[in-house]
Amino acid sequence: MPALLELQRAFGAALLDSARPQILSEVAHEFGIEPSLLAIYRNTALRTLTAALGLSFPAVRQLVGEDFFESAAREFIGMHAPARAYLNDYGQEFPRFLAQFPPAASLSYLADVARLEWAVNRALHAPDASPLALSSLAALDSALMPLVSFVPHPAVSVLRLETPADAIWRAVLDQDDAAMAALDVTAGPVWLLIERNADGVQVRRLTALSGRFTERLCAGDPLQRALEDSAAEAVPVEALDAVLAEHLASGRFTRWRT
Amino acid sequence: MLDPFRIEGQASSIPAAAGIGLRFPHHEHVLHARPSVAWFEVHAENYFGGGPVRRTLEAVRRDYPLSLHGVGLSLGSAEGLDSAHLQRLAELARAMEPGLISEHLSWSVAGGHYLADLLPLPMTEEALEIVCRHVQQTQEALQRPILLENPSSYLQFRHSSIPEWEFLDNVARRSGCGILCDINNVFVSASNQGWDPLKFLDSLPAAAIGEFHLAGHAEVRLENGRLVRIDDHGSRVAPAVWSLYQQALQRFGPKPTLIEWDTDIPAFEVLLDESAHAADYLHACPVSPHACAA
Repeated sequence: MPALLELQRAFGAALLDSARPQILSEVAHEFGIEPSLLAIYRNTALRTLTAALGLSFPAVRQLVGEDFFESAAREFIGMHAPARAYLNDYGQEFPRFLAQFPPAASLSYLADVARLEWAVNRALHAPDASPLALSSLAALDSALMPLVSFVPHPAVSVLRLETPADAIWRAVLDQDDAAMAALDVTAGPVWLLIERNADGVQVRRLTALSGRFTERLCAGDPLQRALEDSAAEAVPVEALDAVLAEHLASGRFTRWRT
Repeated sequence: MLDPFRIEGQASSIPAAAGIGLRFPHHEHVLHARPSVAWFEVHAENYFGGGPVRRTLEAVRRDYPLSLHGVGLSLGSAEGLDSAHLQRLAELARAMEPGLISEHLSWSVAGGHYLADLLPLPMTEEALEIVCRHVQQTQEALQRPILLENPSSYLQFRHSSIPEWEFLDNVARRSGCGILCDINNVFVSASNQGWDPLKFLDSLPAAAIGEFHLAGHAEVRLENGRLVRIDDHGSRVAPAVWSLYQQALQRFGPKPTLIEWDTDIPAFEVLLDESAHAADYLHACPVSPHACAA
C-alpha cells in the first residue's frame, strides 16, 4: 500500500509538473486511476492558479490578451508552484518571469507593469498595522535622531521603474484609449510610492530625490545615511525633512529604532 | 492589550436557517443594501489580510451571524499542517468571533506546493490517523471545535478500506469535531463512485451534524462516454440534490444551510431565491428529526 506522503507527492507532480507531460498517465497507472479523472484535477488546479494570477495582474492580462496570458501563466505555474495555500500571496516571481519570457521580449514595459501590480496586490492584502505614534519620536534625544531607522507599514512600497508603468497601468484599467494613445513608453524612469488608505490602494509618483530617500528609509537605513545617500550634492536637507514629515503624518512607518 | 481591529459584541451563533456564501462581487451590495439574509459564510483565506477588505468583513459581522469556511488548511496532508496558515486562521477567528468554523476532509498541499484544489484522500487507517491529529491540532489552535466537510470526488483509490461515512464518524468521535454535510458533495460522489447517497446519510452520526451545504454541479462526459459530475458551484442546486436535502432534514432535523456559488457568480437576487427555496424546506421540517412533512 502506498504511504500517503508518497501518493500526495506523486499527485502534486502529476498536477503541476508541466515539464514532464507524461507524468500524469504514469501516476494514474501507478495508483489505478483513470488518467482522464486525474486530468480533471489538473485542469482545476491550473485554472484556479491562472485565475489567481489574472486577479493579481489584471493590466498585464489586458495588455497581452487572454491566450497569451494563459500560456505565460501555465509556464510560470510549472516553474513556480505556490508554496502556500494563500493565493493572495502568489505571483511574487511573475514580474521577473515576464522580464525573461521570450514571447514578451518586444513589450519593454510589461515586466514594469507587473512589478507595479505586484506592489498594488501586496498593498491590498497586507496585514493591518498601527502607524507610528509621533509622540514616541518627540521624546527622543535630538542627538540620536540621525541614527533612527524606521519600519515601513507592510502595505507600503517604493519602486523605481524604467518605463512610465503607472500611466500605462491606469490607462489600461480605465480603458482610456486617449491616454493610451498619448503615452510615451520611453518617458522613464519613474519613482512610485504604493500604499493603502481607507479608500483602497494609492499609487503616486515621487521625485527622484524623494524616491531615493524613501526607498533607503523603507530599506531600514538610519536617517543620516539615507539623507547622505539620496542627496548626493547640493540638495538642502530641509527638502527631505519635509518628505520625512509627510511619511510620518501619513502613517507610512509603524516603528522606529536606534 | 486592546486590539483595535477586534469586533465588539457577543459571539453570535448561526441559526438553523438558510444563509448565503458571500463572495467579493456582492460585497458592495451587502454593505449598502443590507439584504435580509439569515447569516453569511465566507472563505477564511480571502480575509487573511487587512485594509478595506477586512473592514468589509467586520461590517458584515456587525450586522449578520458569520461563519468562517477554510479552504486551504489541508487537513489531510501527510507532511503536516502549515503552522503559519493555522495561525492566520486563528487570528481571523479571534477577531471575528464567528458562529461556526469549518474545513474540509481533503488535502491540497504536497511537497511544499499548494495544488489549488480540494483533493481526495484514500480512506485508509493512515489517513484517518493524520486527519484526526490535524483536526485536533486545529481545534487546539482555535480553542473550539470545528466542522469537517465531506468531500466531493471523481475517483476512488483501490487501497481505500474505510467507507467515507465511517471515516467521518471516526474523526468526529475521536477529535470531537462536528460534521458539515455538503448535500451536493454526497450526491456528486455517490454518482461518480456508484454508492447510495441515502446509505451515506443514514450512516452519519446525527448528533455530529452542524451544518448543510447546497450548491450546483456540472455534468461532464468523458471521451470514453462516462458521465462525471463536478461540483463547480456554478449553477442552481439540482432537483435531485434538493430531494436529498429533504431526506437529510428528515434524518437530522433543521440545521444551518448554506447556498454556495463560486463560478459564474450570478446577481445577488438569484442567491436570495435559492436560499428562499432552502428556507421553504427548513420551515416544512419540525424541530425534532425523523418527522418532516413529505
